[in-house]
Amino acid sequence: MTVDVSNYIALSAVMFFIGVAGVVLRRNPLIALMAIELMLNAANLALVAFARAWANNAGHVFVFLVVTVAAAEAAIGLAIVVAVFRRAKNVDVDEVARLHG
Amino acid sequence: MSVLDILWLLPLASAVLIWALGPQLRRTAGALGTAAVLASFVAALTLFSAATTAPGLHETLGTWVPGFTFGLQLDPLSLLWTLIITGVGGLIHLYSIGYMWSDRAIARFFAYMNFFVFAMLTLVLSDNVVGLLVGWGLVGLASYFLIGFWFYKPSAVAAAKKAFVINVVGDVGIMFAVFALYASTASISFADIFAKAGALPPGILLLVCIGLFIGAAAKSAQVPLHTWLPDAMEGPTPVSALIHAATMVTAGVYLVARFAPLYSLTPSGQELVAVIGAITMVLGAVLGIAQWDIKRILAYSTMSQIGYMILGVGVGAYQAGVLHFFTHAFFKAQLFLTAGLIIHALHDEQDVRKMGGLRERLPFAFWAMLIGTLAIIGFPYSSGFYSKDAVIYGALEHGHPWLYVAGVLTAGITAYYMFRMIFLVFFGPYRGDVPDEALAIDPRPVVPHAEDHGSHAPAWLMQVPVAVLMVPTIVAGYVAIAHDGSSPWTRFFGALFPVGEVAAGRALPISEVGSTLLVLVLVACGILVAYARYGAPAVQLAAVDRLRRETVTMPPALRHAFWFDDLIDAAIVHPAQALGMAIARFVDPHVIDAAVRDLVWLAGALGVLFRKLQTGLVRGYALTIVIGAAAFIAYFATLGGRP
Repeated sequence: MTVDVSNYIALSAVMFFIGVAGVVLRRNPLIALMAIELMLNAANLALVAFARAWANNAGHVFVFLVVTVAAAEAAIGLAIVVAVFRRAKNVDVDEVARLHG
Repeated sequence: MSVLDILWLLPLASAVLIWALGPQLRRTAGALGTAAVLASFVAALTLFSAATTAPGLHETLGTWVPGFTFGLQLDPLSLLWTLIITGVGGLIHLYSIGYMWSDRAIARFFAYMNFFVFAMLTLVLSDNVVGLLVGWGLVGLASYFLIGFWFYKPSAVAAAKKAFVINVVGDVGIMFAVFALYASTASISFADIFAKAGALPPGILLLVCIGLFIGAAAKSAQVPLHTWLPDAMEGPTPVSALIHAATMVTAGVYLVARFAPLYSLTPSGQELVAVIGAITMVLGAVLGIAQWDIKRILAYSTMSQIGYMILGVGVGAYQAGVLHFFTHAFFKAQLFLTAGLIIHALHDEQDVRKMGGLRERLPFAFWAMLIGTLAIIGFPYSSGFYSKDAVIYGALEHGHPWLYVAGVLTAGITAYYMFRMIFLVFFGPYRGDVPDEALAIDPRPVVPHAEDHGSHAPAWLMQVPVAVLMVPTIVAGYVAIAHDGSSPWTRFFGALFPVGEVAAGRALPISEVGSTLLVLVLVACGILVAYARYGAPAVQLAAVDRLRRETVTMPPALRHAFWFDDLIDAAIVHPAQALGMAIARFVDPHVIDAAVRDLVWLAGALGVLFRKLQTGLVRGYALTIVIGAAAFIAYFATLGGRP
């Protein structure tokens, strides 16, 4: 059974906008990070879908890169969250606004 | 490496070596520098026959970009200058060992001198206009170094700056000529330019000739760019002899002679050169009358004699003009070196009012000075006799009777001011205050920084070069004596110079012999007037009072050298200073500083404005990114997607 590529793209778009909503609307940084991961994986899904559809391996290679970057980003993001939590004793993204000059 | 390369680079190598090892070499630097220049001279001699057989010696050094091929060439004209630069230059180097013996910067002096020789060789050996311009600039630099050699004297520093600035005016003139030549011939080499010279539009040709002559006028102290030369006498006397008499100041003559194929096509350009040369010739001689400093007398006489040369090459009598360069290099170098002997013997006294009666006490200097003077005034059978007559009569032959008259008159004035100097320096009672026993040709410490006061250079170091120069001072003109219609001089140049329009068949108002006699009569008059005013025994007894009175009653025009310095000050220097002050007072604070201040204010204002956007709310930023990305996608999906 072959699934049309447009279905994958639609799923990818849905995932992406869930991620966007998560980042913009939720104040918990852990949720925001998870939403970012969701957006990245939505992009990954689109890349893999197109790579399959057009039989071009470049998409697969990009996915590996994106996964690597996502891992690094998650590590750094969590480290920042921990650092902020230590200082502020709660986790709220808007709390970081105090850093601005 | 060819012999040509070696003779060109040897002085540079020596200069660098002396520069690097100066403190260790000390007086050995003099021997090294002299040896390098004399070796170049010998190398040039070995190339004599190769250079004089047409088309001469040529060597390509390298190509920069297409059209810019640099090389060296040695044709008769280059060879003549090379031989004078290295030959007379070598003798002056030898003399300098004695003259600079007690100066603790003797190594620096020889580094500069060798650098000058290299620069001058670059100028005359280049086969292209750019190389010539480089050499032209470098000799100006060397001249600046050497005029300001005693840099603790403010007057020397001022003179050096003045010389450099005026010479840069000339450099710019040549630069524009080079631009015009390259733009119209697409080449910088002399051979290409001269081959295409006939096809150049007359306007361009005239512009090029004027540009080149501005350079020649600045370097060769032609009116109105001459004011630096008398001031340049602040340098050590060997420098005056080498750079400001024998070689560098004659570069203008070389330039006009080198570009003879262009000048011969531009009668109005030639006219300009000849007239300026004649004005300089007369002016220099007139001002030579009014000087009290022995070196300034010689400086104005140099200016006047270069006027003769420029007149010669300007009217188209190239061989005559260049012949006068050739003989002048010997007798003027000799005169300057002899003046150096006197200055040394009198413990740095240069004022002729404080000399007198030195004939018995400095007999060698007397005879040397007398022979040089006889040559410069054109005494029969001395070298100047042949060259000066050739120039003067050449002006008539090429159809310039007024310039001819000026040349004849100037010959009389020359005799007057030169014998005025002889009488003031060597005859009558001694008017100075140097005791008899201290008076000798005996190099003394010449500068306050002198070291080991007890050590004296051997006197022969300074006498031998003067004695050697006496020979060509007398005989150098004999090359121009014609047998069967051609002299060694004309054979030497062969077909190098274009033959201008000579008045063949046209009746000249005076024959060549008649002209010579006329000049000699005027020269005799000049000597007689000088004798009556300064030489007669009755005059000499009251000389001190007379000279004091003459100093006071000197016409202001002569005392101020016809106000050329004041004129240049009023026309250029003061307006430039006023402009500078105006810029400093108004443009600087109200335009440049104001612009910077306003920019700072603008940056601050923008910062205040945009700071409001920076809330620190991460979700806000994320929303902005989303909106931005959505806008991009919308744009490319709808409008920009289709090309």
